[in-house]
Amino acid sequence: MATATAGSAPSPVERAIQRNLKGLGYLASSAPVLGASPKDVVLSRGPLRLYHYHPLTDEVYRVPVLLVMATTNRGYIFDMVPGQSLVEFLLLRGYDVFMADWEAPRAEDRGLGMKDYVETFVGGSIAEVQRLTGESDVSLVGYCMGGVLSVLWAGLNHAAGPKNLAVFTTPVDFRQMTLFQAWSDQRYFDVDRLVDTLGMAPAEMLLTAFDMLRPAGRISANFALLDNLWNDEFVKGHRMFDRWSSDMLPLAGEYFRETTKQLVWDNALMEGTMKVGGRPVELGKIAAPFLHVTAEHDHIVTTGASAPLIGLIGSQDKEQVVLKGGHVSLIAGPNAVKRMWPRLDAWLAEKSV
Amino acid sequence: MSDTPNLDPFGLARGWMSQWEKLVNQHGTELLAKPEAAQAMQAMTGAAMQIQAASQEASAKLLAAANLPSRADFEALGARLGAIEATLSRIEQSLRAVAPDVTPPRPAIARTRKPPSQSPDT
Repeated sequence: MATATAGSAPSPVERAIQRNLKGLGYLASSAPVLGASPKDVVLSRGPLRLYHYHPLTDEVYRVPVLLVMATTNRGYIFDMVPGQSLVEFLLLRGYDVFMADWEAPRAEDRGLGMKDYVETFVGGSIAEVQRLTGESDVSLVGYCMGGVLSVLWAGLNHAAGPKNLAVFTTPVDFRQMTLFQAWSDQRYFDVDRLVDTLGMAPAEMLLTAFDMLRPAGRISANFALLDNLWNDEFVKGHRMFDRWSSDMLPLAGEYFRETTKQLVWDNALMEGTMKVGGRPVELGKIAAPFLHVTAEHDHIVTTGASAPLIGLIGSQDKEQVVLKGGHVSLIAGPNAVKRMWPRLDAWLAEKSV
Repeated sequence: MSDTPNLDPFGLARGWMSQWEKLVNQHGTELLAKPEAAQAMQAMTGAAMQIQAASQEASAKLLAAANLPSRADFEALGARLGAIEATLSRIEQSLRAVAPDVTPPRPAIARTRKPPSQSPDT
């Protein structure tokens, strides 16, 4: 075995031999099983799946944690494999963990809009967590668009909670997402025609858009894989993240239409004019302790798009943390294990009793 | 400086790839941010949508001729099933309000954990 041990990196010849041997193994082997922490599906509505993970400690913090996943991707990024799972980390630290995850919307879900995602899905998940745990307090933790949905729910229901609100890489100033702005230019992009024709925003279209944010990304990632085929850990990580990033979900048509018009075109969240189901979203009235964790090298939700959020939230107890990493490595992988997860735990533990 | 020849075929390629990636990402995103690029992308999306709509219409006609259900028929069926599920969910919620849950609850876990800073042994 030529993998690196302490003080002895493999020689170039050893690496070349291992690359050839393991290249065949890579092609023949199956991908790792992801998202396998034991759990129950406690609520299923349209594309929403609410999971309750089995506790791993004898006693848990009083306040349960509800993770809200981004609507474009699968929630197993929070639960990759043992040792690289945020869910497992939180369970071992004594939290009672729930997750609002998404399936691909079906044809009959095309009419689901922002109100459904915010009130029915996020709000409904909170109500179910409250019912199952018997606790009125819930900590809400959202990632990317899951963070937007969490912030929208909190801005509509500031009197009711949540107990704590933590979001990761959550955009608020969509004008700063310059490439998405360019591609959805109202002069050329007819969102009504797209939604009315297809009923959904296709996953392939979204995947292409994300890929084009770094046009060389996929080729250089494949080169890095070839270069590192001798390194088992690298290969395992590549397979997990490559599978996850390619496993995108289509978006329900009305939800995509409203996201495009209100958030991207009107920049309504930033301008303070955002309404959901006719009700105003009042970020300034959110009083729950608030944490926003962003990534220094995020090429999807750039610093310009995420940084203003902290100033719009009304909470007295609020904090923004910028950590090393990118949009995905902030929340999963070795970088997250070392940086973000302990930071979240340190912030949340004191507020969960 | 070592005189040992570099036997790693990936050594040179690594540096070259790094430069290439930077250049392509920088110039590629500059190019893609231009209105002309957005216009071209939307034209392609529009054409793809037209093709899809036309093929849907044609296959619906073919299926109707063969007396087979079309995608729209399945969607309508799905919508009806969804409505039935929603009704069942409402009935379930109403029943829960008037009768206790019949499923045995998972053993309640103690919600008494304290953060390390408040634990007696710290």
